[in-house]
Amino acid sequence: MAAVAHEARVRGRRRPLSRKLGAAGPLTYVFLIVVALVSMFPLYWSLVVASHDNSAVAAYPPVLTPGHELWHNLHRLFNSGEVNVDFWSALVNSAIVATVVTVSVVLFSALAGFAFAKLRFRGSKFLFVTVIATMLVPVQLGVIPLYIEMVHLGWTNHLMAVIAPNLASAFGVFLMRQYISGSVPNELIDAARVDGCYTFGVFRHVIWPAVRPVAAVLGLLTFMTTWNDFFWPLVVLSPRNPTVQVAVSTLASGYVQDYALVLTGTFVSIIPLLIVFLVLGRNIIGGIMRGAVKG
Amino acid sequence: MKTFLKTPRRRATALATVVVTLGLVATAVVASTASGGRQDTVTLRVGLFGDFGYHDLYTKYEATHPNITIKEDIESYADHHANLAKHLAVGAGADDIESVEVGFIAQFKSQPNLFVNLKKLGAGSLQNQWLSWKWQQSIAPNGAQIGLGTDVGSLAICYRKDLFKRAGLPTDRAAVSKLWPTWQQYMAVGKRFEKHSPKGVSFFDSGSNVFNAIIGQLNPAYYDSHGKVIVGSNPKVKAAWNVTMQGVQSRESAGLAAFSNDWNTGYKKGTFATVTCPAWMMGYIQGQAPKTKGKWDIAAVPGGGGNWGGSFLTVPKQGSHTKEAYDLVKFLTSPASEAYIFKQTGNLPSQPALLKSKAVLGFKNPFFSNAPVGKIFGTSAMSLKKQILGPHQGDIQTAVSNAIQRVEQHKQSPASSWKQFLKDVKAVA
Amino acid sequence: MSEQTAVEAPIRGSSRSTIRSRLHRIDSRTAPYLYVSPFFVLFGAFGLFPLGYTAWVAMTNRTLLDPNWSYVGLDNFAALIHDSYFWNAVENTLAIFLISTIPQLLFALLLAYVLNTKLRARTFFRMFVLLPQVTSLVAVALIFTQLFSHDYGLVNYVLGLFGIHAVNWEAGRLSSWFALSVMVTWRWAGYNALIYLAAMQGIPDELYEAAAIDGAKPWRQFRHVTIPLLRPTIIFTVIVSTIGGLQLFTEPYLFEPLKQGATGGSARQYQTVVMYLYEKAFAGTQFNFGYAAAIGWALFLLIGVISLVNYLIVRRIRSAEA
Repeated sequence: MAAVAHEARVRGRRRPLSRKLGAAGPLTYVFLIVVALVSMFPLYWSLVVASHDNSAVAAYPPVLTPGHELWHNLHRLFNSGEVNVDFWSALVNSAIVATVVTVSVVLFSALAGFAFAKLRFRGSKFLFVTVIATMLVPVQLGVIPLYIEMVHLGWTNHLMAVIAPNLASAFGVFLMRQYISGSVPNELIDAARVDGCYTFGVFRHVIWPAVRPVAAVLGLLTFMTTWNDFFWPLVVLSPRNPTVQVAVSTLASGYVQDYALVLTGTFVSIIPLLIVFLVLGRNIIGGIMRGAVKG
Repeated sequence: MKTFLKTPRRRATALATVVVTLGLVATAVVASTASGGRQDTVTLRVGLFGDFGYHDLYTKYEATHPNITIKEDIESYADHHANLAKHLAVGAGADDIESVEVGFIAQFKSQPNLFVNLKKLGAGSLQNQWLSWKWQQSIAPNGAQIGLGTDVGSLAICYRKDLFKRAGLPTDRAAVSKLWPTWQQYMAVGKRFEKHSPKGVSFFDSGSNVFNAIIGQLNPAYYDSHGKVIVGSNPKVKAAWNVTMQGVQSRESAGLAAFSNDWNTGYKKGTFATVTCPAWMMGYIQGQAPKTKGKWDIAAVPGGGGNWGGSFLTVPKQGSHTKEAYDLVKFLTSPASEAYIFKQTGNLPSQPALLKSKAVLGFKNPFFSNAPVGKIFGTSAMSLKKQILGPHQGDIQTAVSNAIQRVEQHKQSPASSWKQFLKDVKAVA
Repeated sequence: MSEQTAVEAPIRGSSRSTIRSRLHRIDSRTAPYLYVSPFFVLFGAFGLFPLGYTAWVAMTNRTLLDPNWSYVGLDNFAALIHDSYFWNAVENTLAIFLISTIPQLLFALLLAYVLNTKLRARTFFRMFVLLPQVTSLVAVALIFTQLFSHDYGLVNYVLGLFGIHAVNWEAGRLSSWFALSVMVTWRWAGYNALIYLAAMQGIPDELYEAAAIDGAKPWRQFRHVTIPLLRPTIIFTVIVSTIGGLQLFTEPYLFEPLKQGATGGSARQYQTVVMYLYEKAFAGTQFNFGYAAAIGWALFLLIGVISLVNYLIVRRIRSAEA
């Protein structure tokens, strides 16, 4: 069993073949820098707006450099006299929700994806198509009946209402299934079987090591989309027990929007994401994708 | 234990399990603490879509009612009303007190069974506290009163003195008010303005804003007193359309959509010289274009009375403390409270006694060249006779805003746009 | 060899082996169902009821606030077929989908390819492509409406430098589709690029080495090694992007300057199907939940058909085994 696992690790964590595809020329770097700038610009600009007063938002020519109001706006944001939502608890709530959902999604998707990709069982094709079919219903439609369910369960205004429906994701199952069917050779699985592994052993020793890159990406993407989710939390939660997107919505109030305050709020709400991003992202994207432990 | 956690994979799995468990525990803890509180205190939740200036009032009320705690929920304008509808539909989740803006009051009052009839709690005796048209706006078809009025928008015309001067028009507000007693004359002034106006400057910002102002003065407008939609058959509505189109086709309109980005920029760059102005717009202009201080002034709106905006406080029936909620609503909309709010935020009271008070009449706004805004807006609010709203008012308003925009964007002629508007109204009603 | 992925326990002559082989049989029969059950249990709890409910509501004239409603059978669907605004929304959705998804996925593939090569600061670039997902929707909406503003937008400013007349992006049909496609591509290209990148990481070196030895240049290696092995992932992104693209709501909703109504512009030039659903159910005063549910199910059908078509097209990529 150890030999199988070892082989899987070696196979699955190959060093990406960079040199064979040609080292990157200067044109490539220019391209990537442009992409990076374009990707980053709106985020930078929201910082600019957050550091000015509200009149700067629609200024023309547009304001492109940070101003001096950031501290003042941050103070307004956390001053409960002016803003009626506890931003700290919103950040904590979102962190809890996003973490629990991410771990659960990655785990369940790997299990189900493995089953659909490599195990033969009756009804597997039909069930898999059903999984994909569940993605076809737009979230805006399911909101009312789901809310009715939450009322019956007593979960309105409770974080469970935004965690439970998201614990398994068709997107994740689909992604894992495609990846596993393409990237895990059957020989490895057969070898594990021959060694006497039960199905869980196959999962533990062959599949789980092999899906590292996609698990990492799925985890990161799930964390982000859960953090950014606003439609459902806005219906079932309220400013009493908010996630960050609900909290930001309370800033955009009145007939008139104070964009400086709103973007300060969104900027604060992004900071934990950026931290997760920077800390874990580097390790995940950089480390594991580099093909870490070699045998 | 040590050997079990030897491999990084095992450590990761263990970590994941711990995280998930902690997460679920944390969720449970957060939930239970959120619902804590002494049994004998009543917590009243107030759902608003903006800052109504109630904070000090809450403190005052809690001091005199020691068993009441007040908590406020604020969401954005659109989200607040959409969520209210969803919560009412499901029968759970609404706050004890829910604010409803005038744009939505008609449709909510068409389902009066979802709200407490405040007359049953004694509100009928308070009727004369309010402007009569304001009181009528929240009366349901079956006669129930589902809300008490907070503020009103009233209506005037905010204009740029400096741009008027450059176009050779008078700038003194009394003179300007005399220029346009009717909307026809307003459009004629626009023609004069365009003749000599600086380049890139239009007379008014948006055809829809003008049109909606005119409709707001009509009685009846979109609905007759029996609740039937009369958009197509009401000649006054067509007349309003015609006069608006007159202005649009004379290129008097900047073709902007209210509250859009370009509209905001328009204030800063001075792309329009006049705008239909409720009381709360003053704060908006000040926030958007602080550098234009002193360049603005306020004149009377053509047609005399008018109203744009304003809200009501309602008590959804699904609440568990409706009597206490009503008492708080009474307090928040009392003359003393509305006077206090006016001093704090400038929100115009909906009560004639206050509109005639010294505090309101003497209120001047330096940003707007010290115009006696209390008097101007107060007069306008009091000269409005009636403003009948029907359940699908909002949809008709959206349809006509689009119809006017289509003409402003040169996509359709006024005739075909009007035809399509009538079709849309039929589909909605 | 793969036929034997099912249980073949090693044959030994002791009673322990019969127990073991029995366990293996039970395991191989039950394990798959056990592994997919978390998904289906959760779906059963939180997905099935909403589906059934909206299917039922689609056959009524239910509105959100009115307690009086009745069963109307397929009337909503019949009305839908004659609803020109619905078909307008379908046309808009398909057009925006085509303009935004195809270039976006191709670009994501290119980006993934580039990010897979030997680069300095590789991790740094790989993380940057995800920033559009991290940026708040409020900021995204503000920026793109400003970029494409008629009088004050950067895009028209640049066009002006080339002597091109200013375009009213939001007002026009094709122009609004284009602007929205830019918005969608900006938001999702990096997302898809990372998925492709993860899949590319799973391709062993020897395949590239072998191809290089055969004299294949990078482009041919890409075509004959990378793409075939990426096939399952490409199928995935095409189907998921199809579903997501046809369900497009947030971007056009935020692009609209008129803050009420969700009509997708004054002439509904960029109203997508989900926007139309939202307009009927929540945005206006109609709260016409029954009709909105019918729209939702019609969309379900539409997405199903188009996803199938796309799948059949993409499936023709030569697979690695061929």
